[in-house]
Amino acid sequence: MTTAVIALEPRVSAALAEFLLSMADDEFVIGFSDSEWTGIAPILEEDVAMSSIAQDELGHARALYELLATVLDDGRDADALAYDREPEAYRHARLLDHGRGDWATTIARRFLYDTADAARLASIGEGWAPLADLVAKIRREERYHVMHFTIWADRLARADGDARARFVAALEMLAPDASTVLAPPEGEAALLAVGILTRPMAEVAADWRTDVARTLGPLGIQLALEPAANSGPARTGHSDAFRWLWGEFTSVRRSEPGATW
Amino acid sequence: MTDPLAMDPVLLLPDRSARPWNEDLPQDERFALFEAHVTGGGKIEPGDWMPDEYRTAVLRFVEMHANSELMGVLPEREWIMRAPTLKRKLALTAKVQDEVGHAQLLYRVAEDLGKPREEMFDDLLAGKTKFHNVFHYPTRTWADIGIIAWLVDAAAIVAQQALRDSSYAPYARTMQKICWEESVHIMHGRDVVVTLMNGTDSQRAMVQEALDRWWGPLMQMHGPHSDRSKDRDLHWRIKAKTSEELRQEFLTIYVPRLLELGLRIPDPHLRYDKAAGEWRYTDPDWAELRTVVTNHGPMSQARLEFRRVNREATAWVRETILAEPRAVA
Amino acid sequence: MTDNGDRMIDEGGPVAPVAEATGILEPYEVFRQEKDGEPMRHGGNVMAPDAELALHYAREMFSRRGESVRLWVVRRADIGVLDDLDLLQPPLDRSFKKPGGYLMRDKLAAARGRAGTSKPKARQ
Repeated sequence: MTTAVIALEPRVSAALAEFLLSMADDEFVIGFSDSEWTGIAPILEEDVAMSSIAQDELGHARALYELLATVLDDGRDADALAYDREPEAYRHARLLDHGRGDWATTIARRFLYDTADAARLASIGEGWAPLADLVAKIRREERYHVMHFTIWADRLARADGDARARFVAALEMLAPDASTVLAPPEGEAALLAVGILTRPMAEVAADWRTDVARTLGPLGIQLALEPAANSGPARTGHSDAFRWLWGEFTSVRRSEPGATW
Repeated sequence: MTDPLAMDPVLLLPDRSARPWNEDLPQDERFALFEAHVTGGGKIEPGDWMPDEYRTAVLRFVEMHANSELMGVLPEREWIMRAPTLKRKLALTAKVQDEVGHAQLLYRVAEDLGKPREEMFDDLLAGKTKFHNVFHYPTRTWADIGIIAWLVDAAAIVAQQALRDSSYAPYARTMQKICWEESVHIMHGRDVVVTLMNGTDSQRAMVQEALDRWWGPLMQMHGPHSDRSKDRDLHWRIKAKTSEELRQEFLTIYVPRLLELGLRIPDPHLRYDKAAGEWRYTDPDWAELRTVVTNHGPMSQARLEFRRVNREATAWVRETILAEPRAVA
Repeated sequence: MTDNGDRMIDEGGPVAPVAEATGILEPYEVFRQEKDGEPMRHGGNVMAPDAELALHYAREMFSRRGESVRLWVVRRADIGVLDDLDLLQPPLDRSFKKPGGYLMRDKLAAARGRAGTSKPKARQ
C-alpha cells in the first residue's frame, strides 16, 4: 500500500487526502445519522432496510478512512481519523449538517445524497489503484441505495394526503445545500492531472442536476439545485446540530483517551 | 447395493386422516385428537384447527417474545451513537438491526395467527401485553452494552434453543433462524467485555459495576419456579423446559466464563452443589420482577413513551404508503 | 445511472412485475436458494406494499448476511394452495405405483428352488 503512495507527488497526495477525507466524512456522518432510525422506522421491514444502508455507509467510511490513513501516514488509524478531531476539522458536505428530520426529510436527503454520491463515484478514475479498487466495490453496494430511495421518492411523490407535500417541502428545504456533496474539491486540478478524477466536479454536478430533474420532473417536482451565490463554504463551518452529535459520538472514546475498546 | 425390487417392506395403506382433528368431528373429539398429537410431539401449522386454549396460549407467548425483541432495541440503541470505534459501531448497529428483524419474524408468526400488527402495538403501548424484565432497566455505561449483548442474549438463547422444538411449527422454525443469528451477538458482547477487562483499571471497574447492576435482573429473567404439572405452555409443548431448568443451564455455562475474567458475581450464596447437581443461589427478588414487568420498572414508562412518540411521528407514512391490510373476513 | 427518466435500469437488477403500488401492506412469501444448484426453500415472509419493496425487504430479512444466492418473492394471495387429501392422498390402493407394492421374496425363493439356483450375491 505505502509504495503506491510514495509514487504520488506531494501536491497530488495532499489533494487526494483532502478528497478522501471529504468522502469518508460524508459516509460517516450520514451513516450514523441514519442509524438513528434503527428501531423507529415506519414499519419493521423498512427499519431493517434503513439499518443495512446505514451500515453500508459506515463500512464505506471505514474503508475510506483506512485508505486515508495510508496516504497521511502519520500514525493515525481509521478510528483515530473518524473520532479524534475537533468538530471544525470535519469535512462532510453541508447537506449532511441537517439532522435526519422526519421520514420525508430522510428520504429527500437520501435521494439527493445517494444520487450525488453515485455521480461522484462514477467520476473517479484509475489514477490511484487502491482507490479505484475500493470504489468499484462501493459502487456495487451503492446501487441498492439509489434503487431503494428512488422507489421511496416515487411512492411519496405519488401518495395521497400530505405525504407528497411533506416530501416536496423537505426537498425544497434541502435543495440549496444538496450540491455541496459535489462541490469541486481543493486541488481538483492535481487529481484530474493524474486521472484520480476523470472530469471536473462542476460537470459531474451539472449532469447530476439533469438526472435528478429527469426523475423528479415526471413526478411534477421542480427543484433549484444550483448552489446559491452566497451560500458559504460547502464543507466547513458546521452546525450546532453537528457539534452536539460530535459530543455524543466521541463521548465514550474521550472518557479514556488512548484506551482500547 | 441390494436390488430394490427384492425389498420386503411393510406396506401401509395411505393414512387419509393424518390430521384427524381437522375433520368435521364433535368439538371434544377434535380437542382430544389435537391434544394427543401435540403432547405426543406432533407439530401444528397455521392452517390446522386449534382449540382456543392452544391458539390463545401460542399467541400470548409469541406476542410477548415479539414485544421483547422490539423493546429490547431501545436500551442499546442510544449507544450506537456513542460506540467508540468503527467496528463496534457497525457491530452494535447490526445487532440492534437483528433485534428488529427478530421482532419482524415474531410479529409475522403472531399476525398469521390472526392478530394484526398495529393491534399488537396498541396493546403493548397500553400495557395490556408485556415484555421481558431486562428491557425495563437503564443502560448507564459502555460496559452495560457488553454485559447485555453477552449475558442477556445468552440467557435468551438458552430459552430460545429449547423453543426450537416448539409444537407450533412456524414458531419453531423462527427460533431456529433466531438462534443462528443470536450466536453472533453473544460473541460480540463477550468480545466487548473481554476487551474492557484487558484494558485500564477504570474500564475493568466499569464492567464490574455493570455486572453488579445486571445480575439481579438476569437471575429473574427466566421467571419464578413453575410447577411442571401445572404449566400449560409446557403441557402444549409450546415450550419444553421449565424456568429453573433454563436458569441452571445459564449458570452452568456462564458462571465459569465470568469468573475466568476475574469478575466477581454479586451473590455471596452462589455455588454449585455437587451432591444435588445444581446451582444454589440467593432467591431472586420476585416482587421486583412483578413490579417491573407490569411496567413499573425504572425505564418502562419512558421507553413506552418513546415508542408512542415515534410511532405517531411516522403514522402518516403508514396511512399513505404502508397501510395496514384490511381485515380479512 | 438513470435511463431516459425511467427508474434505475441496470443489468443484473432485481426483476419485479410492474404492478400498481396499492400502498397497502400484504404478505409476500420468500423462497431462498442457499447455494447454486440447491432447491428453492421457503424462508419466511415479509409485509410489503408492492412487489418492488417486497424484493428489497426479502433481501433484508433473508440475505443481509449474504446467506442466499437467489430469492423468489411471491405475493401470498397469488399462491395456489392444494391441501385436499382426496386429491393428494386418495384412499384406494395405489401400491402398483410404489416399489413396496411388489413383494417377490416368496416368489423368488420358489423360482430359485425350482431352478436349483441360489440367491446371487448383492451387487456392489
